[in-house]
Amino acid sequence: MAQTELSAPVIQALQDLTILFGAPLVSGVISHVEGRIQGRRGPRILQPYYDLAKLFRKETVVPEGSSWVFLVGPIIAFSCYLVVPLLIPVLTTYGLPLGYMGDILGGGFILALAGFSVAIAGTESNAPYAQLGASRAMTFGALIEPTILFVVFAVGIITATDLPYALAATVRSSSSEIVRPAHILAAVAFFLVVLADTGRIPVETHSGTLEFGMIDEGRTLEHSGAPFALLKWGSAMKQLILYTILIDVFVAPWGLAANQRPVSVALAIPALLGKAMVVGCIFAVIDNSFSKLRLFKITEFLAAAFLLAVLAVLVFYLGGG
Amino acid sequence: MPNAAPSTFTGAADVIAVLVLLTEFAMLRAPLLRSQVRLYAFQSLVVTSLAIVVAATRHVDELYVLAALSFILKVVIVPRIVLRLLSRAEVSLAGSSAFGVATMTMIAIAVSIFAFFSIGALHLQSTALPSAALAISVAVVLVAFVLIILRSDVVSQAIGFFSLENGVSVASLVVASGLPLIVDVAFLFDLLVAVVVFGVLMRVHHGRTKTLSTDSLDRLKG
Amino acid sequence: MNHALLAIVIIPAIATIATWWTPVAISKVITICSGIAVFALALALIPSATTHGYLAAGPAFRADALSIVFLVPTTFLYATTSIFAAGYLHLPAGDAGRRYARRFYAGLNIFCWSMAVAPLVNGLALLWVAIEVTTVVSALLVAIDDTDGAIEAAWKYILLASLGLGIALLATIFMYYAGTKVFGSSYDLSYGKLLSGAHGFPKEIVRLADVLAVLGFGTKMGLVPVHTWLPDAHSEAPTPISALLSGALLAMSFYAILRFFQVSVRCLGPTFPRNVLLIFGLASLALAALYLLSQRDLKRLLAYSSVEHMGILAIGMSFAAPLAIVGVLLHVIAHAAAKGTAFFGAGSVVRKFKTKDMARIRGGVGLLPWSGPMLVLAVLALSAMPPFGIFRSEFLIVAGGLSDPHDVLAAVLVVLVTVAFFGLSWFTTQTMLTPVPEREGLGLERGETSRLIVVAMAVGLVGLVVLGVHVPGQLSDLLHDAATQLEAVR
Repeated sequence: MAQTELSAPVIQALQDLTILFGAPLVSGVISHVEGRIQGRRGPRILQPYYDLAKLFRKETVVPEGSSWVFLVGPIIAFSCYLVVPLLIPVLTTYGLPLGYMGDILGGGFILALAGFSVAIAGTESNAPYAQLGASRAMTFGALIEPTILFVVFAVGIITATDLPYALAATVRSSSSEIVRPAHILAAVAFFLVVLADTGRIPVETHSGTLEFGMIDEGRTLEHSGAPFALLKWGSAMKQLILYTILIDVFVAPWGLAANQRPVSVALAIPALLGKAMVVGCIFAVIDNSFSKLRLFKITEFLAAAFLLAVLAVLVFYLGGG
Repeated sequence: MPNAAPSTFTGAADVIAVLVLLTEFAMLRAPLLRSQVRLYAFQSLVVTSLAIVVAATRHVDELYVLAALSFILKVVIVPRIVLRLLSRAEVSLAGSSAFGVATMTMIAIAVSIFAFFSIGALHLQSTALPSAALAISVAVVLVAFVLIILRSDVVSQAIGFFSLENGVSVASLVVASGLPLIVDVAFLFDLLVAVVVFGVLMRVHHGRTKTLSTDSLDRLKG
Repeated sequence: MNHALLAIVIIPAIATIATWWTPVAISKVITICSGIAVFALALALIPSATTHGYLAAGPAFRADALSIVFLVPTTFLYATTSIFAAGYLHLPAGDAGRRYARRFYAGLNIFCWSMAVAPLVNGLALLWVAIEVTTVVSALLVAIDDTDGAIEAAWKYILLASLGLGIALLATIFMYYAGTKVFGSSYDLSYGKLLSGAHGFPKEIVRLADVLAVLGFGTKMGLVPVHTWLPDAHSEAPTPISALLSGALLAMSFYAILRFFQVSVRCLGPTFPRNVLLIFGLASLALAALYLLSQRDLKRLLAYSSVEHMGILAIGMSFAAPLAIVGVLLHVIAHAAAKGTAFFGAGSVVRKFKTKDMARIRGGVGLLPWSGPMLVLAVLALSAMPPFGIFRSEFLIVAGGLSDPHDVLAAVLVVLVTVAFFGLSWFTTQTMLTPVPEREGLGLERGETSRLIVVAMAVGLVGLVVLGVHVPGQLSDLLHDAATQLEAVR
């Protein structure tokens, strides 16, 4: 068999494309599973694709008084979401050329930029619910930042670098690494961060639009047409990106391509999407098991996540755990 | 940078100690007194499992006896006594404290950091000693203090004290596993007697004031 | 196998069991006999302790000079308090009275048993267990009167004291861990072993253990800032129990601190342990002296005086001269006698005037022909007037302090003690020496409420005079022996 190898830029592009086209699929699976758990038939698994297609065909309506920011925001966010997959281990165990553009902290910054531009676009619309959602999102985002930082620190001190590839390699190296207290704590802390960032129970109801509890959903309320499609796609991509970081860096970094052969890369794609769907199902189960926290109690939730992240750093730093 | 994964004993002790600390934090948050008691029972169970781990890896057979005794006492008897008091008192909510849960968690985190750094400053050198577990047990003690200081009802304060004893037990299992069994049994017996006295006083307090709150305990001043 | 030692351990236990079942009159007699017997045995141990170095009864019990120094005041108070209680207790009639008496006397006996056993056990671990038992028993006794104040005081006491003992347990564990470097991972914490290996212990850990021990046992001793339970518990408990709490239990906790001090000095040298005690001692003395100036409640006043004297003990230990340490040990004995007598007098006053509020007590000397003046004398003794024992002990402490390089501390001690004296003497003149207001009078007639109270107070005062005028030779040898033990390697 011919040992053709894919060149690195191709693999890098494949990473992006996987995230781009796999994200709605993962979203669809999650909604479907959630519906099934609730005893309904659930929407089609491919429904998000149809939704996006429909939205791109619709006309864009812009509120009075808003400026170009309203239309540019979604585009900026979308581009950010296209950039981040270049930096994190999506399909491969080795670093790809553009992957050294930024470390995990850089990836975090870019994600924050995306969230910022969506929020700004929402504020621009002058509509009360959008502004409400935007301000709440920014507040809770600021409260999550320290936790994310400490998780990054935990990753950093365990591997002495802050490249996500390195941590994945460490975790793969032996099974005792997985049960290190610092690793478990950091993983759980990051799990809670993902839960908060993707707007799931107990922080926010993902489906439906309850104004009292809207955080992320509220920001996009006034958009329509193609920008709205970009926003929805972007948010699905952000979800998949966060899942990818959780899976490929912390929890289950197996199944990634170790070389550049097309077969391994081709296998890595369904492996990733499969694992993401499993994580999504876990989130769906959590969605149906707990109730949403009242807004002022979300700080307790974030404090718990912060606690776990701090403990991860301390236990490692001071105990060799 | 220490990169090697810790030995089995150290790793297991560390994970268990972290669980004990997390349970302590959960007690800070628990709004119902029943949940606090159950968290204490769970914490005692975790400590018992640590005793079994230490007994197995360090080949100290006496600790199996100790584990059995502490299971009976701390997981079964003490929670029973307190739950019976609660059902008689018909009070279910913990007394509110001056701070919200998030603030108390922050204070407790700060206190744990202090504990970690002070034990770290001791530069305990041996590789056979899991100093993370020791630091965590001191953190449990200090967070129990925070719990006692900030909560304003007798049951929360009593559970806080019992969980403090759990923290000290973790410390003793980690560094003093060779302490003669008779001494460990004496400690447990002491705890039992202390629990009985706490129970008596709680019941008397409830009998007089019909609440479990310590707000009325402010007559004696100066 | 020393039989006197065993007897001291067994007799109060038998008394406890006996007084639970017998009627009140017999319980009183049993308790008094037990107290006197145990005190006599303790006195009998003095000569043997100095000649033999230490006495043993099985692996669990060991009495050296330091133990006997602390055993003597405890047993003395056991004897005199049982006499006082026999005269002081006014029991309600019928079943309630019988139940109270049973609980009180059995509680008194088991409390004194636990306090007699504590200095006799061998090892830091058993010492912790003994002190925990004293805490638990005394908490029940504080609550025995079942008033609002008593329950509040008992709750604060048991919570804070148990917290302190939790810290002390952590200290014991750390000390054990320090010892594993020398003795391997399994050994008992007996004193002989610890002292023999102490110079090899890792210093950082012993430092931590010492601080935690002072903090933990200091909670039970009444050192500031962890003393907050003390004024409440000592004022709300029944007066005989208050006497025992102030005179004996605080000293027992000090004994525990001294055992840790012994080991720490041998490992770290004298400077660090002394500084730790100095800080807490100064804080206690200063705060107590200030609080003494503003008290209204009679027993609370005496409780703050206890805090003051515990501060003096701690400061005294921090002076380098052996003279000061002899003074500290003598002070433990003298304070027990003085505080006991003072509380007995306070009990007599409360019985007569039916209130603890000093604003409503006037003309004590006139209305209580014996216990009134004796109370005045006891308070003067507490303020270190000659010819009482506390004068001698504080003199020794200050003299030792002046020969210390930091002699300014001795001066500070004298100043603070003078402030405390103002507080106490204000009380004395107010309640005892001010004549009854002519017009209203207080509706009370002159006369003692019980002769036994007078007897108990008289015994205490005689003891104080003996200690002040001429310390008996064997006792003096004992004190010097104990002081040598505390100075470690000389």
